[in-house]
Amino acid sequence: MDYHDDAKGIICAVSTPEGRSAIAVIRVSGSGSASVVEHLMGLEKGRLRGMRRKTGVIRRAGVELDSVVALGWPEGSSYTGEEMVEIMCHGIPEVTADILECLMDAGARKAVPGEFTRRAFMSGRMSAWQVMSLASMWRGMDHGNRLSGEGGSECSRLLRETRRVRELLEADIEFQEEHGTGGSEDLLAEFGSLMELTGEFRRKTSVMEGECRVMLMGPVNSGKSTLFNRIAGGEAALVSDEPGTTRDGASVHVEIRGRRILVCDTAGSDGTGIDREAYRRALGTMKGTDGVIWMSVGGTEKTPGEIEKTAGWIIRVSSKSDLVEKCTDKEWLGVSCVTGEGIDELQELVSQFPGSMSVTALADRIENRVGAARDSVIEGDFAVASENLADAENELSDLLDRGSCALISVERALSGMCVGK
Amino acid sequence: MSRCVDVIVVGGGHAGIEAALAASRMGMKTVMVTARKERIGEMSCNPAIGGIAKGTIVREVDALDGSMAVAADETSLQFRMLNRRKGPAVWGPRVQSDAMMYARAQQRTLEAGAVEVIEDEVTGLIGRTERIEGVQCRRNGPLKGRAVVLATGTFLGGMLFRGEETWRGGRTGDISADRLDEDLRRRMFHVERFKTGTPPRILRDSIDTGSMEEETSEEIGFSFSYSGSRLSELREFFYTVHTNRDTAEAAKDFLHRSPLLAGRIEGKGPRYCPSFEDKVVKFPERAEHRIYVEPMGYRSRLLYLNGLSSSLPREAQYRMVRTLPGFHDAVIHRFGYAVEYSYISHEEIAPTLRLRRTENLFAAGQVCGTSGYEEAAGLGVLAGINAARQCLDREGLVLSRMDSYIGVMVDDIIGRGVDEPYRMFSSRAENRLYLRQDNADRRMLPAALGSGVLSEGKKKVLEGRTEAAGRIRTAIDETSMDGVPAGILCRRGELNPLELLSTSGLQGSVELSLAESVILDEKYQGYIQRNLRKHRERSSESSVTLSSIDSFMDIEEICWEAREVLERRRPETLQQARNLPGVRPTDINGLIIHLGRKCSTWNNRT
Repeated sequence: MDYHDDAKGIICAVSTPEGRSAIAVIRVSGSGSASVVEHLMGLEKGRLRGMRRKTGVIRRAGVELDSVVALGWPEGSSYTGEEMVEIMCHGIPEVTADILECLMDAGARKAVPGEFTRRAFMSGRMSAWQVMSLASMWRGMDHGNRLSGEGGSECSRLLRETRRVRELLEADIEFQEEHGTGGSEDLLAEFGSLMELTGEFRRKTSVMEGECRVMLMGPVNSGKSTLFNRIAGGEAALVSDEPGTTRDGASVHVEIRGRRILVCDTAGSDGTGIDREAYRRALGTMKGTDGVIWMSVGGTEKTPGEIEKTAGWIIRVSSKSDLVEKCTDKEWLGVSCVTGEGIDELQELVSQFPGSMSVTALADRIENRVGAARDSVIEGDFAVASENLADAENELSDLLDRGSCALISVERALSGMCVGK
Repeated sequence: MSRCVDVIVVGGGHAGIEAALAASRMGMKTVMVTARKERIGEMSCNPAIGGIAKGTIVREVDALDGSMAVAADETSLQFRMLNRRKGPAVWGPRVQSDAMMYARAQQRTLEAGAVEVIEDEVTGLIGRTERIEGVQCRRNGPLKGRAVVLATGTFLGGMLFRGEETWRGGRTGDISADRLDEDLRRRMFHVERFKTGTPPRILRDSIDTGSMEEETSEEIGFSFSYSGSRLSELREFFYTVHTNRDTAEAAKDFLHRSPLLAGRIEGKGPRYCPSFEDKVVKFPERAEHRIYVEPMGYRSRLLYLNGLSSSLPREAQYRMVRTLPGFHDAVIHRFGYAVEYSYISHEEIAPTLRLRRTENLFAAGQVCGTSGYEEAAGLGVLAGINAARQCLDREGLVLSRMDSYIGVMVDDIIGRGVDEPYRMFSSRAENRLYLRQDNADRRMLPAALGSGVLSEGKKKVLEGRTEAAGRIRTAIDETSMDGVPAGILCRRGELNPLELLSTSGLQGSVELSLAESVILDEKYQGYIQRNLRKHRERSSESSVTLSSIDSFMDIEEICWEAREVLERRRPETLQQARNLPGVRPTDINGLIIHLGRKCSTWNNRT
């Protein structure tokens, strides 16, 4: 299903949990939704337009389905920002199913997961940050932090602080020497606390967003675990020279270019014996990953078709480049865990996984910009410092606005939602 | 019997001088009408030229062959480079000058520049407003001219205030231009009021400088003018003192007699150059404010108290001044006062500084709503060029805000309007890393050559410098240091200009400062290009009209709030739409998508 083909039609869904309950709420959104519900309830045209509440009965072919209360919202003031109606009916699955069917007969279609929120985002009712806060709340990932979801408070606070520090910086440029106010040492202290704030913000976004998952895959003894250890910086996986030593996926959280990434090691795949099970398990968990690092000594073993098909993003690593001849194919990256060759490039590539082009990556960029600004102040180039802070501000406003660069994160957040949200 | 000249400049201040000289350089028979010849080029406020961003404007004016830089160099008593530790993009050259010598230098330049000066008061314009035919003078009668530049400063409807005293005047000791003010209003020009002020002047012999902090001159081997003018060898001492609780108390005791706070002055004052009583009201917890004690000139018997501007009554000024350390017996030679004057609203002004409703009337300086000598000079030279171009029947010169502070200033005033006297700041320029004091000559060269404002001598100097800069750039492209290309070292800020010159064999044939400047252009290239790209994107939006849209309310691609704003304000272009509050970047994207669906011309354009 593609949202973009029908981004404007009337959508409907049950917004309360499945199962028996006293009442259920059915949401209908999109231009014309009021008249659809009016028709269903046998109301006069226009009775649900604007902020209206109507009670009535929904009938199909003369048969009474349920008595309901309908609340109408005008365009511009509803959750989605569109013309919208919420129907409160009895929480009986058969009833809600019937009403949905009636709605669909009248021209509405069933909403896809997260579509109401997506429309709220698209119509400017919610900022990217709000969508993400909401999504993480629903995922139950607030980790002790109650996210209000209402004002993007951390985000706007960081924006406010960045602005304030830039204003101080500008005042220092324009007035300090001519009017003798302020001082550069205060400025550095301000940068110190701003750095702390940006770090905190980045950690929070990575918690909210969930992390980027990367799987290490490849034939037996292609050096996955060695690479894994190199990345993990310790002996997280059991490594030996005997093929197939890694019996099951170990995983480790690492920070690459400021992004929290979960790297999962898998058992080698020669497609036989006990490894086969592990390999199949690995394939099974691939759906939730952002990318796969396919390893093969010297790039000799091509990526299996099933991985090509399932994995969204693949980095091909020609391993043990210190021992064997490197693969000359440009698609392959030569890496040696012994000499460290290619490790930097690999990290760079991993940080470019689509899943990394996210709000966390954005938060990381903000942190970089603020850090660069502080460095410029220390080096004595205030104008460059100001450019860097302005960049950070723009990134933050994007997040609070509805800038396109945050769209990927929004899609990611929405993908975790259920129908009706 | 009335005469007819090409360009008439009304006013002999820092704007008027540059306007008259520019027009004259372009071959125009130019007349300056001013009340008193000997006060042409007077530094009515502090005896200093330049500062952060302002110093850069001075150099831009010099690159257009203006006279401010040379006059400041020749009469310099102390040079300083402000912000030396804050990066070359915000360096601000500033010079303390001898005020008397400065004015005389400017008067000599006018004489040499074949500008005729008529001592008179302009009482009105003659001819229809759409096409002005000249000016009416009080004593000399009508003077016909093909273009007129208004550079009236604080004189247009000028009113002076000190305590309860109020009198008409453009500056203490000078008449105001009230009839001209009336004539402009009669012609339905939208005229508003601003105010500004000046501090008391103190007799030098009456104070004791022993207890004061001395500001010594930093020998930086700098001259404002790119032509390398002859610097004065005179040096003077400058001091700083701080106000204290008693100074603030003195001001507070007389606040009720302040003309501003009593509501007798309507015009808004400069926020960044407030009177001392303003500071006391605004920062009640702070009694210490820095005051610069500046001699008005070499061995001048008068001192200027920079930072102690006041329009409180005489007795208040005495009390305030005498609380300063070393000032207990100070004698005030001339008291501070406030001046309220008329300026022409930004809606009337075109980017060429022509008044929109007329073909040939221009404005420059405070009458456009700015404050400061440097701002005035910048607008003056532009107005002079365009008055001349009008006479020559050529298209007016418009300066981009991406290339010069003068361009930023004009664009800000016209695009956003002013609600207080406009002072230049480096932060007003989004392309600040490019708009530096070290490269103004190269930045201005296309405009300078294209407009025809350069004298032959200046043209040679500037072209020579540009050619030398080109050689340095080639050297950067072709040189490597220890295997690293010089261009990369530039961007890292690691290229030593001396080393570059010696490696490339340019040593001795080009100035070291020029090499430093070219290296900076290279270093900031990434930022500069990005800023230009952003600006281009924005300005291409000004050519996209929204006239095909009947109702913004039906555009589903944009959010509801923006639809309402757009429907109410009905912008004509995409750029105007972007500037509206409540319209966000994504709404603009939505609008573009909508337009793309509606008309193919947009597609052709992109």
